[in-house]
Amino acid sequence: MLEIKDLHVCVEEDGTEILKGVNLTINKGEIHAIMGPNGSGKSTLSKAVAGHEAYEVTQGDILFEGESILELEPEERAHLGVFLAFQYPVEVPGVTNKTLLRQAYNTIAREQGREELDPLQFEDYAKDKLDLIDMKEEFLDRSINAGFSGGEKKRNEIFQMAVLNPKLSFLDETDSGLDIDALKTVANGINQIADEDKAVCLVTHYQRILDYVTPDHVHVMIDGKIAKSGDKDLAVKLEEQGYDWLTDVASVSVNGEQ
Amino acid sequence: MAKVKQQTEQTFLQDLLDFQGSLNGKSEFLDEVRLKGAEEVRNTPFPTKKLEDWKFISLRDLYRDSYELASNLEVDFPDFSEHFLPESKESRLVFINGSFSAEHSSTKALPEEVVIGNIANLAAEGNEQLKEHLHKHADFEDDVFTSFNSAFLEDGAFIYVPKDVTVEAPVHLLFIQTDADKNYFTTSRTVVVADEDSEITLVEDHIGLGDNKYFNLPVVELNLEDRSFVKHTKIQRDSFEAIHIARTAASVAQHANYESYTITRGAKLSRNEPRIFQMDEEVEFTVDGLVLIDGDQVSDTHSVMDHRFSHAESHQLHKCVINGKAHSVFNGKIYVQKDAQKIDSFQENRNLLLSRKGLVNTKPQLEIFADDVVCTHGATVGQLEEDELFYLKSRGLDEQQARELLIYAFALETIENITVDSVQELLVDEVHRYTERQLDSELTV
Ligand SMILES: Nc1ncnc2c1ncn2[C@@H]1O[C@H](COP(=O)(O)OP(=O)(O)OP(=O)(O)O)[C@@H](O)[C@H]1O
Ligand SMILES: [Mg+2]
Repeated sequence: MLEIKDLHVCVEEDGTEILKGVNLTINKGEIHAIMGPNGSGKSTLSKAVAGHEAYEVTQGDILFEGESILELEPEERAHLGVFLAFQYPVEVPGVTNKTLLRQAYNTIAREQGREELDPLQFEDYAKDKLDLIDMKEEFLDRSINAGFSGGEKKRNEIFQMAVLNPKLSFLDETDSGLDIDALKTVANGINQIADEDKAVCLVTHYQRILDYVTPDHVHVMIDGKIAKSGDKDLAVKLEEQGYDWLTDVASVSVNGEQ
Repeated sequence: MAKVKQQTEQTFLQDLLDFQGSLNGKSEFLDEVRLKGAEEVRNTPFPTKKLEDWKFISLRDLYRDSYELASNLEVDFPDFSEHFLPESKESRLVFINGSFSAEHSSTKALPEEVVIGNIANLAAEGNEQLKEHLHKHADFEDDVFTSFNSAFLEDGAFIYVPKDVTVEAPVHLLFIQTDADKNYFTTSRTVVVADEDSEITLVEDHIGLGDNKYFNLPVVELNLEDRSFVKHTKIQRDSFEAIHIARTAASVAQHANYESYTITRGAKLSRNEPRIFQMDEEVEFTVDGLVLIDGDQVSDTHSVMDHRFSHAESHQLHKCVINGKAHSVFNGKIYVQKDAQKIDSFQENRNLLLSRKGLVNTKPQLEIFADDVVCTHGATVGQLEEDELFYLKSRGLDEQQARELLIYAFALETIENITVDSVQELLVDEVHRYTERQLDSELTV
């Protein structure tokens, strides 16, 4: 579904290279987890996939369902079925969740040749999704993330994902800031949304969410590269030992390449 | 304030006074008002940029061009019934180029006790209430534009709501300006008196049907007696070549509440001067504004909130969206007179600048002579947030949809307070059309 090939990404503004050759393949039906120290480039990777303008791809490619999406606008990627749950969800005062999501849902539906929903149909549809992650109805009519608690914002991202029903979801630290019950609810929501036709990539610092959402692959990103990949046991090892042992390996291999 | 010495600028407006006498003969009362107005115009120079209050805008276009009296022109216009509000089917007064159109008006929905009609007819009938209130509340000292309006006062709306009467249906005051070959000017006057314990909702609606040049100079006087409640929405959708210079004065008595929302979308140059005068203790007033301008439009709001007695709550949120080379000016004066204690006044001017060449001048001006006063005031100039745009786009909205949603959200705060549903809807459409224009690359410079 997603193939990232030797991806190099710079900050548009000052040209600093953040991603230094990322390779990652995510297939239909898979759940991936990306871990790694602060500042290693996990969010940058997520945003590059979603098409954020601040990041310039200087080398490599991102293929979605076999086609390069580098030239596509963020909304065009969304139309194809790419979704990003933000590490820091943006507050948009004055625009309600319902307004945004109905417009987004219908735009995507139109682009994908599916039926659009009228306001009443959409309301019913959205309410089902709210139940899925145990959110109160009032959140539909509240301004997007405005005044939401940290945990509510994260939950709202998953709600949006549930409504838009994307093929590929990058969830950037959606588990951070959630209490234990909320974590279970959100994990449960993710499990219900993810089926054999979809793929999910969790960016996380904690092994805990992986107890509920079992990843098929775990990757460690260090200094703009995937330094190691493995199965869910890798996450357990990282939880116990941290990243030091990998940093050494990474730097050795960097040296080895030179 | 010290008077600035001013060179007299020769304008065609002054020449027009020669024709002013031709309006006389239908009502002695109006003849007098006009005579006095003409006298004042003769003695008052028209403002120029040299005056502090006029330094940001140029009236050269207004002074250089010649204008004809609108009522002297033959009018020819298309059907404009699309602009009628469904809530005001039988509570509407229509003025075409300043003259009353009985054919398009209806006041059947209003309680019988309410005096409502056009000034020309009421004056000809010698209506006492009109005589009592006309030109009593427009307290614009030495203002040549108010005088000019008086000098050519022919027609306009008059409403008197007696004690204890609540007018349920919103009253739509529809000022239609037609397309014409010649430049014309129109000077409508609106007088609204809400007697004790009465209530009324007004929608003052200025619409230009063409893209022609004209000069629209409306003066609105409102008098709110004790415990009355007046909601006043003004929508200015004049032609994009028009000049709109407006004065609105409201006197607010004890326990009365004046709530106003002014929407500015049209005119090449517009200047609004709302002035609220507190006439007694315990009053509330709102003077909110929403300005949506682009191209080379100029919108200027000079407001005065005059707190003269204790216990007042006032609110002014003036929001502007500026694109292209448009220019927004805001000067909000808040006076709190000596002994006017316990005043709670809020003022904010928020600007959303969509282009590099757009311009904002903003100046809150507080003059406070009392000590037990809470005045919050401020001004901001911001742009559409890239993060917000990206967030919305990542959900599938295109550039146009995302911008529109953000501009709409910015504007909504004002629009959502307007209690007439169809007005809310038409303003949402205006915001939509406005943002649609914004993607036109020529406008976004
Ligand atoms: N727009 C930007 N301008 C300048 N530097 C940036 C920008 N975006 C990211 N960076 C830098 O790139 C590096 C990677 O940032 P990124 O947010 O991708 O890290 P992360 O792995 O998600 O970290 P965390 O675990 O703390 O969320 C950081 O050093 C960050 O400061
Ligand atoms: Mg991050």
